[in-house]
Amino acid sequence: MSETKTPLIRLAKRAEMSKGRIYLIRICSIIIALILGCLPMVLTGTNPFAAYSVIIQGSLSRPVYLKQTIRTAIPLLGCAIAIAPCFKMRFWNIGAEGQITMGAVFSTYFALFYADKIPHAPLLIIMFLSGALAGALWALIPAFFKAKWNTNETLFTLMMNYIAIGIVAWLQGGPWEGRKGSQLIPMFSDNARLPMVLGVNCGWIIALVLVVFLYIYMNKTKQGYEIAVIGDSVNTARYAGMNVGWIMMRTMLISGAISGIVGTIIVSGANFTLYKGVANGVGFTSITVAWLSQLNSFAMIAISMILAVLEKGANTLQTRMQVPASIADIITGILLFCMLSSEFFINYKLIFRHKDKKEAMA
Amino acid sequence: MKKISFVLIVLMLVSSFIFAGGSAETAAASDPNTVRVGLLCIGDENDQGYTYNFIRGRDEATEMLAAEGITVDWVTKYNIGEDATCTDANIEAAEEGCQIIINNSYGFEPFMLEVVDDYPEIEFISCTNCASAFDGRDNTHNAFANIYEGRYIAGVVAGMKLQQMIDEGQIKPEEAIIGYVGAYSFAEVISGFTAYYLGAKSVCPSVTMKVSFVGSWSDATAESDAALALADQGCVMISQHSDNTTPATAAQSRGVFHTGYNNDMTSIAPNASLISTRIDWAIYFYEAIKAYVNGEEIPQDWCKGMGDGAVVMTTLNEAIAAPGTAEKIAEVEAGLADGSIQVFDTSTFTVAGEELTHAFALDTDGDFTADSEEAVYDGAFHESVFQSAPYFTVQIDGIEWLNAAY
Repeated sequence: MSETKTPLIRLAKRAEMSKGRIYLIRICSIIIALILGCLPMVLTGTNPFAAYSVIIQGSLSRPVYLKQTIRTAIPLLGCAIAIAPCFKMRFWNIGAEGQITMGAVFSTYFALFYADKIPHAPLLIIMFLSGALAGALWALIPAFFKAKWNTNETLFTLMMNYIAIGIVAWLQGGPWEGRKGSQLIPMFSDNARLPMVLGVNCGWIIALVLVVFLYIYMNKTKQGYEIAVIGDSVNTARYAGMNVGWIMMRTMLISGAISGIVGTIIVSGANFTLYKGVANGVGFTSITVAWLSQLNSFAMIAISMILAVLEKGANTLQTRMQVPASIADIITGILLFCMLSSEFFINYKLIFRHKDKKEAMA
Repeated sequence: MKKISFVLIVLMLVSSFIFAGGSAETAAASDPNTVRVGLLCIGDENDQGYTYNFIRGRDEATEMLAAEGITVDWVTKYNIGEDATCTDANIEAAEEGCQIIINNSYGFEPFMLEVVDDYPEIEFISCTNCASAFDGRDNTHNAFANIYEGRYIAGVVAGMKLQQMIDEGQIKPEEAIIGYVGAYSFAEVISGFTAYYLGAKSVCPSVTMKVSFVGSWSDATAESDAALALADQGCVMISQHSDNTTPATAAQSRGVFHTGYNNDMTSIAPNASLISTRIDWAIYFYEAIKAYVNGEEIPQDWCKGMGDGAVVMTTLNEAIAAPGTAEKIAEVEAGLADGSIQVFDTSTFTVAGEELTHAFALDTDGDFTADSEEAVYDGAFHESVFQSAPYFTVQIDGIEWLNAAY
């Protein structure tokens, strides 16, 4: 091999790595992220050590804060579960935001107009079913077009988000508006709210049930196997006689239904009303959750908690140290970036020109 | 082994984070003359409008209270949405030791009310909304000021300018058209532009007005576009009920005049902006915080006007205002203070050609339509008497709504 033609740095796919090394890389990436995160703090004159301690304190140190953190983690976890099968299939569903929103819209309809007509438990069941149905149908549309005409699902699902958000904006200022001109939909009555279990809305139980469901579905069922095969190679799946289009639609239907359930949890368990920011970026943040946890449903619990800690802690950071909210967002971004890039170093190695024989990068 | 020790070190670091510090939480409460107050804002001071006006009120009130030996430890949170993040912000402020929590935007109230029962010892204030005063709780309050008085005077200033233009032959009487950029077709906005129009009409009888709603409290581009469109439709005077200064710059770029809200905009549009009106929140903050420190009740529903300094006019732009404007302002201010001038005097306007004889003020059954307390009596509609938040929603003759979709 001629020395001059070798680039300075090359990438190579890694062979299997030991679990210990993988975790070492992940921990290193978090430490690097924490160090990099100091930069914006130092630049704005904040003591990074104090800032990190405020983030932890503000999210975990008191029962109230812990409850808020868990409440933030529930939709992240639920939505990560929703999109995991799609991503396993390499169907890039970035429309969870819209699916959550549509689920929230359908649930809100019953919460607003049937709260005084139907008893608590049946009402909540109807809200969940309608939320799941709405999310499923919203997700089915791009899946149908993908299956039928091979449209680009990334753009399609993304655009569906804005339609869903637009529908809520219209409801907010139009038919469901409370006081005229206020742009606010009235708060749900107690009858349409989720019961609290251990101080947090019972959505956490639903999310944990979904974790187990996803694990079984992906690892122990024929359908889960089909999804994995399509993810590895669509042609293999076709050769094996699978109806790829149908499997895509079926998977999106399930994914959308779970997103819709998340929407119901958000409106009836946390917000108690509907507004156009109801999904609040969960549909996108949960992509990070799913990816960081390598689509492993149990790892998602931990990752969604970490992100919730960051989000809640950043809030307290703003309150206590008057750090602008945007700085907190930057720090979160740096952490996510580092954590995601660690997956890159787990899968690839960098090879420097003169060190071909050695492993260059741990 | 190395791995385990590594994990242990990380754990130790994390736990030291948890237990380190913590000093910030316990600062207040011990000294009776120190009070920790949360101020939750929808924007930040960079809007140079709505939130900036609150921050200004906060700082003035702090000085006024300091002069009396009361120290206010403010916890200000910016850019909070009118959504569940507001619930979280209220919890956060309460947990961080705030004794009074002020919510600065109308849409915060329903989310604030989700929290108040968990913290009965903390006083919650919702500015510009109306549910807290009547919800039967002692620890929830509303506050607003008679901004319609300030708008009426701004209208007088605008009307004098228009009349001057008519008298000098620059425009025909029927071309005295005001363009008003409104946020939403919401009682506070309707009340404001009607007061403004009546002020203008009191000195320029031929004036008419077009209102364009932009569908946002704060959308600099939409506000600018609406102002430009109004100017292009023949409006020679622009005013606004929205948070930004872009209507002023738009007016200047089209060579028409402007009156503002929340902040003096003459520095931004010196050839267009005549005057602005704003609420001086320092008056309320001072009263409420002082009452709290003295162990007195914070009023359930606070509302004061120009006579008490709660509504103020910014400096008149003498260079472009009509001659005699300053004297007229003083005269109208005095008239408003002694009651000889009623802003919504029913003899000065008509509704579908008829005099207004009846309008309800309050909604008591929760269907969002006013159903009780007659507001029209003694020859005038009485605004902000039965509750601090405005309730004038009548569409009067002479004001054309260009788009009521919002």
